Amino acid sequence: MGRGYAYDTIVIGGGHNGLTTAAYLARAGRKVVVLERRHLVGGSTVTEEIYPGFKFSVLSYVVSLLRPEIIRELQLSRHGLQILPLESTFTPLHGDYLFRGSDHDETRREIYRHSPRDADAYDRFGQLMYRMALAVKPILGMVPPDPTSMSPKDLRGLLRLGRHFRDLGESDFYMLYKLLTMSSADFLDEWFETDPLKATMSASGIIGTFLGPRSPGTAYVQLHHYMGEIDGAFRAWGFARGGTGAVAESIASAARSLGVTIRENATVDQVIVRAGRAVGVALEDGEEIRARTVVSGLDPRRTFLGLVDETELPQDFVRAIRRYRSMGSSGKVNLALSELPNFTCLPGHGDHLRGAISISPSQDYLERAYDDAKYGEFSSRPYMDVIIPSLIDPGMAPPGNHVMSCFVQYAPFNLNGGWNDEKREAFGDAVVTTLSEYAPNLPDAIIHRQVVTPQDMQDVFGLTGGNIFHGELSLQQLFFLRPAPRWADYRTPIRGFYQCASGTHPGGGICAGPGRMAALEILKDGRR
Amino acid sequence: MRGAYDAVIVGAGHNGLVTAAYLARAGLSVLVVEQRDRVGGAASTEELFPGFLFDTGAHRVGQLHPAIAADLDLARHGLHVTRTEPGVFVPLGDGRHLQLGDSSSSSSDSIRSFSSGDASRWPEFNSFTRIVAGFLSTLNSMEPPTVPGPPLSDVGTLARLGLGLRKLGRREMEEVLRVLPMSCLELLDEWFESEPLRGTLAGVAVQGGIHGPMAVGTALSLLRRAAESGTGSAVALLRPRGGVGQLSEALASAARAAGAEISTESRVRRVLLREGRAAGVVLENGTEISANRVASAVGPGVTLLSLSDPAALEPEFVRSLNAIRYRGASAKVHLALGELPRFEGRPENGSHLNGAISISPSLEYVERASDAAKYGRVSAEPYLEAVIPTVSEPALAPEGKHCMSVLVQYAPYHLREGSWDQAAADSLADTVVDTLGRFAPNLPGSVEARHVLTPAAMEKKWRLQEGSVFQGEMTLDQFFFARPVAGWARYRTPIDGLYLCGAGTHPGGGVTGTSGYLAARRILKDAKAGKT
Repeated sequence: MGRGYAYDTIVIGGGHNGLTTAAYLARAGRKVVVLERRHLVGGSTVTEEIYPGFKFSVLSYVVSLLRPEIIRELQLSRHGLQILPLESTFTPLHGDYLFRGSDHDETRREIYRHSPRDADAYDRFGQLMYRMALAVKPILGMVPPDPTSMSPKDLRGLLRLGRHFRDLGESDFYMLYKLLTMSSADFLDEWFETDPLKATMSASGIIGTFLGPRSPGTAYVQLHHYMGEIDGAFRAWGFARGGTGAVAESIASAARSLGVTIRENATVDQVIVRAGRAVGVALEDGEEIRARTVVSGLDPRRTFLGLVDETELPQDFVRAIRRYRSMGSSGKVNLALSELPNFTCLPGHGDHLRGAISISPSQDYLERAYDDAKYGEFSSRPYMDVIIPSLIDPGMAPPGNHVMSCFVQYAPFNLNGGWNDEKREAFGDAVVTTLSEYAPNLPDAIIHRQVVTPQDMQDVFGLTGGNIFHGELSLQQLFFLRPAPRWADYRTPIRGFYQCASGTHPGGGICAGPGRMAALEILKDGRR
Repeated sequence: MRGAYDAVIVGAGHNGLVTAAYLARAGLSVLVVEQRDRVGGAASTEELFPGFLFDTGAHRVGQLHPAIAADLDLARHGLHVTRTEPGVFVPLGDGRHLQLGDSSSSSSDSIRSFSSGDASRWPEFNSFTRIVAGFLSTLNSMEPPTVPGPPLSDVGTLARLGLGLRKLGRREMEEVLRVLPMSCLELLDEWFESEPLRGTLAGVAVQGGIHGPMAVGTALSLLRRAAESGTGSAVALLRPRGGVGQLSEALASAARAAGAEISTESRVRRVLLREGRAAGVVLENGTEISANRVASAVGPGVTLLSLSDPAALEPEFVRSLNAIRYRGASAKVHLALGELPRFEGRPENGSHLNGAISISPSLEYVERASDAAKYGRVSAEPYLEAVIPTVSEPALAPEGKHCMSVLVQYAPYHLREGSWDQAAADSLADTVVDTLGRFAPNLPGSVEARHVLTPAAMEKKWRLQEGSVFQGEMTLDQFFFARPVAGWARYRTPIDGLYLCGAGTHPGGGVTGTSGYLAARRILKDAKAGKT
């Protein structure tokens, strides 16, 4: 118990991971307070009414990785979580299109129309990725063992890992190795010939990364796209009724019902450390809150270079965090529309508008978009992952109107000359111009436009470098190296101070895995 | 039935010769068949113009596997390798320039004029690359294990690998594991700010591949070069006296001394199969040479899909063979010069011409050059590494004249438009000469003759598939146990008695003879076990 403290645990940041940690700790009987800087919880998982009557999933916009055990254990459905399937992907082209829906035969016919060979490969590829996702799942669910450590705990973990790989069998192990090291373009070239198909599939390998589809390492990110499939909770992509904010709200509601106190507009200035141990936090307004345990839901750079005094940390660790890469590469454009976009290649308001709309006509198109970013410019013709939530959940916009969410790459955080209002609008224009080349009626249908740059992501949402994953998902920043060697088990060099967000294994996406695993590790320590 | 030879080796490249020498030393009767009129393959020194001797393929060698130099006593066979100082000279065209070499102090002095921070970090960077290079050398000198779930035979290998890591100490171990999957950009961002330095190291990292320095895996390429240099330096230039061809000559001489026969102008048409096992080779002229085993120094694709019958292989294996990526993107341009180039800021004929000359003003310059290759075009402003061996060895050219060999990145084998015809080759040479002219204005006027080796020409000349100088990309996914094909990294092939011993096998790349050495060990092990 609190030893006179008001709380056992303070969670800094009310993002979906912070809330998850809080809920799990409360579930185990801890007295927990969550301190959120903004006026609402959710962090990057928020729905906001940016324009009267129009609700935007301001940043993250789809749910694909949310761990089913969390939905179950926190009874999120009872707390209002409702996932609506996003079952199709529509890739508009000039003069043609590619549509992949939930109807297997229809999709097969559609791919056959582009390439009989690819139609056959498509199913085999899907099965392979399903198998690979199964192979990765247990790794995502384990506290990463440190191969450089001799501690029994780590050696046990390594042994488990070794057995897991052996049980995979030779061919699947090698396939997994290829996925970890290859570019999604090269990987897909081994299977398919239809350019728009390859481009749209490889696009999922570049989301949130500062890499192009031909950059090695992207095949693995692409695999993450398939993780949602295997849990049977819902298919690859889902959309939360009420926007992604509803995900955070359901976790918050679950947390409250378990006794968690959530304080909005409470900005933590410093973690108070006494004799190498975290004993509480100091808010910006001077208020101090004491607790035995402090957990940070912020990204590693803000957590360790912002909240605590560096002198409390080992030099090696500080160096590791300083070089931890957190470069943003994506932007978000949210549109309030008076009417639906009408695509020249497939006119009308059919099913193709109800799923994801992918602006990825060719591999070269994506690669050129990346080239712009490499040299410090936003893509003049960007890759986009677009959805129209109001078609799935009418409550998102006034009757007859619609909201359109555009995830855009590339928009480098380190833009030449830096981001400003002018550049932000120019970026927004590039997005609308690109879309209007496929749906000419779009520009006139726009009632309001919200453009979120990587700079905004850092300033408003506190994502260092505007990186949506709390740090790049590159191999050297995954597993036992996330966020730094020796500190990938949610603990930190400061006793009683923990990390619980996407900057820890297994990383980004609305998955809440870090939040849950952090809570479990904290409880383990508590028992000691 | 017993073959006329215990082993026939396809290709007298340096790896093939190493394998031949070791098999002969072990008492096997060995015949090496070479398509060309000389030994050496891509490690040859050739007279392209009367009196001008060029290293036509590789213009540098790596530190040979330590065992090789000792076992084969190559010094006695005429091999004398020298390290140039500086290792590399980087002109910027505006009078400024950078010089890097084994001498850490003079390198730092040169770096200081661009960044004092980088200058002070340079020695630290070198000790860092030395540590990683040490580990990579362990890795490169061992036969890859078959993973996962090592059969007992592999426990030893894995243990050695583990020990190689463990003996580093925990902090170094973390560093090694952390940097191996990086891009060159990510690695250099942690160390240096000055663009000429970043660009030059990036250039080293992209040689022979199609990727740019921002691609994951290029950090490994840089560190591999450090490992090959023997001193852990990524900018060293090692050259045999008399040219790279001298290494091959020495190896050939050692192989002959050990009893191996070498037959040049003997191009293999196919590998002879009897009851599903390799039983010799058939030459283009129809001659059949029977042997108990065949080791091919030619690439995996050529050996198993062209020289042997794919029908004899499992479809799954054929599929993975076809999935090997080659994508050569390098060309060689050889220039006969009437006089030495006078670089802006260093017009004299000084020591700066001893080593490599790198056109790499910035990392972005190298990356932009690589963009062209992505779209199947030749870089308009290519990354270049040139050497002028005649500076230290005037005898390689007529009195007062010089030989310059230029490695060009990027010249993709697969061109989107057109093909590698004479016109394309000429315009490539023009691009190279113009580019050099921007840094050494007197160079274009001093070119007396030029010879271009496009990726297509390399394929023809040396049977390098798609012109890949490494017989397959040296990327992470084609590394160690996954080279040439996952599950077949131990020099054997699914065809009994047919082995691979060229750069297409682990550790591949670079002129170190290690692939040939490890293949020979595997062959002898199998022979002892009576497997073949």
